[in-house]
Amino acid sequence: MKKPQDLKPDTLSLHAGQRPDKEHGARATPIYQTSSFVFEDTESAAGIFNVERTGHVYSRITNPTNAVLEERISALEGAVGSIATSSGQAALHLAIVTIVDSGQHIVASNCLYGGSHNLLEYTLPRFGIETSFVDFRDLDAVKDAIKGNTRLVFGETLGNPGLDVMDIQQISNLAHENGIPLLVDSTFTTPHLMKPINYGADLIFHSATKFLSGHGVVIGGLLVDSGNFIWDQNNNFPQLSKPYKGFHDMIFTEEFGPAAYINRARKEGARDFGACMSPHTAFLILQGVETLGLRMDRHVQTTREIVNFLNHHKAVSSVSYPELETHPDHELAKKILPNGCGAVFTFELKGGKKAGQNFIENLNIFSHLANVGDSKSLVIHPSSTTHHRMDAAALEKAGISEGTVRLSIGLEDVEDLKDDLDSGLRSALKAL
Amino acid sequence: MHIFSGPKGLQGDDDPIIFVHGTGMDHTVWTLFSRYFLRHGRDVLSVDLPGHGKSEGPLLDSIELLSANLLDYLDSRNINKFSIIGHSMGSLIALEIASSQPKRVNNLVMIGTALPMAVSDALLELAKKNDPGAIDILTFMGYSKDARIGNNKNPGMWMTEGTRRLMQRAGKNVIFKDLLACSNYVDGLEKAKQVSANTLLILGENDYLTPRHKAKDLIDNFQSVTVKEIKDSGHTLMVENPNHVLNCLSEFLCKK
Repeated sequence: MKKPQDLKPDTLSLHAGQRPDKEHGARATPIYQTSSFVFEDTESAAGIFNVERTGHVYSRITNPTNAVLEERISALEGAVGSIATSSGQAALHLAIVTIVDSGQHIVASNCLYGGSHNLLEYTLPRFGIETSFVDFRDLDAVKDAIKGNTRLVFGETLGNPGLDVMDIQQISNLAHENGIPLLVDSTFTTPHLMKPINYGADLIFHSATKFLSGHGVVIGGLLVDSGNFIWDQNNNFPQLSKPYKGFHDMIFTEEFGPAAYINRARKEGARDFGACMSPHTAFLILQGVETLGLRMDRHVQTTREIVNFLNHHKAVSSVSYPELETHPDHELAKKILPNGCGAVFTFELKGGKKAGQNFIENLNIFSHLANVGDSKSLVIHPSSTTHHRMDAAALEKAGISEGTVRLSIGLEDVEDLKDDLDSGLRSALKAL
Repeated sequence: MHIFSGPKGLQGDDDPIIFVHGTGMDHTVWTLFSRYFLRHGRDVLSVDLPGHGKSEGPLLDSIELLSANLLDYLDSRNINKFSIIGHSMGSLIALEIASSQPKRVNNLVMIGTALPMAVSDALLELAKKNDPGAIDILTFMGYSKDARIGNNKNPGMWMTEGTRRLMQRAGKNVIFKDLLACSNYVDGLEKAKQVSANTLLILGENDYLTPRHKAKDLIDNFQSVTVKEIKDSGHTLMVENPNHVLNCLSEFLCKK
């Protein structure tokens, strides 16, 4: 029997979630820049509010432009649904608070984006949610860190900034053995390089600010639900498996089955916390997603050349990129990231902090700023910026030193990037 | 048998609405519609057939056995008269019950249906082996070409993956037994002649699993039937065009 031919990722990137506008024939996704939507009549209004009819009410909860983006990312990830949020941080917050209550616990990788680390280490404890940070390469440590009140395991597909490759299959097995889900931050890989759901991830979030939008012009996030986790397999998640007074005693697992989580996240989290995405932002991210495959391939191709260039430069002591045999996760990367390990990586300059300052200040094309995943190449010194709130021990665990420099490789001509880096590196050598 | 009846449970309605799901599915496919009728004061029993969803029990591989099982359950709840709505395989169960219990069924609704509902040997073979390819085919064929691109009426949800996940939750042999039950139900056309209930068929214009033209004999065999065709919709009408299906149901079941 002929195998069904589902649409391929590059086609989904352009089409999923949107068909030409029936009223005007617009081929591009229209921007529905409206706070609210007129009801047909009182009966259909009541029906939409009671979740018996589909439709839009208020753009904090759903919006047609955002819905296209949400559907498109769901299609690319192989997920049942998504929610667009005001930022990646908002997506992470929504992911957590949908299922983790005060008095409960998270096990997280010790190699996280600084913003995620701040939320887990400093902010969530104010609300009674504690986190144990663990080296995800040490599976026994992960296992030992999971406690009776642990409700979530969380890490990044590629750790920031050292590019630790998460063994999603192994970590998800550990989480599932304990009846809890695995959340992954897939910002660095995007669905073009890896689909975490295929390896056992239950929930995904993206900072869409980065490669998904790809042009450094918006802030946005996406929370994605695989629909795989069975939320009523135990009593760990009463938010989903018991009546919710905030929605007329709705039991989400009973009414939505595989889509229980994403429905609770929208009906409670989007409604009450309100960190929604602007429709204009969704439109801009959609423009980026249309060329995701093309851009990611070019990002990776250029990154490989730059990694090779730096790896042989006399001002550089080491380069951390999983495609290099020297990277501790090289074998795992070959297995789960065959199309590339993204376009963000770190390297160590000889000469420490002073060399780092000289290097960054003598770059011309690379922009010194706190972002990654732009079409333009970027550089930053993590220990003094994105990770400056981490103490020395935490920095060491995260693989960051004073000489660590993080690059995000853009779409410029690779020879121009090499020339720029060479100029900066020559200045760095003067610090030695 | 596990049923969804809303937070308050059954309230003694003299014409409760029974929802019956299709192959490899469960009661959650009826959530929107159940909520509508519950809000309008009707009793709803959205069932998980034996071995489906949260219902235990042996898998039954004939429409007759599935129907008898459901009738036993309704008897146990002292539900005498009712309206019954089924999708795909569930529509055959609804037909079987409406034909065998003409005095008990007030209204019959068959959604995404055809008779005979033959299943190819190749698909049956995949399902028999519990090959995930069977779910891929049912998911792919279960949606119109447009719906495979998306633009879900339910914001932010990717339709085909939602259906795939639901079927992936089905236990071993569930899909095979369901498909076998559909394929072996050969008396349906004769049964249709015995139906006295008000009957509505809701069909998708672009249904690839139970194509519109394959419902013609069924339509001809009913004493009286209303047919609603939903433009641009495939087999999974409740997901592709939920508001349109709800309009058809509310108009049909709430008319006096």
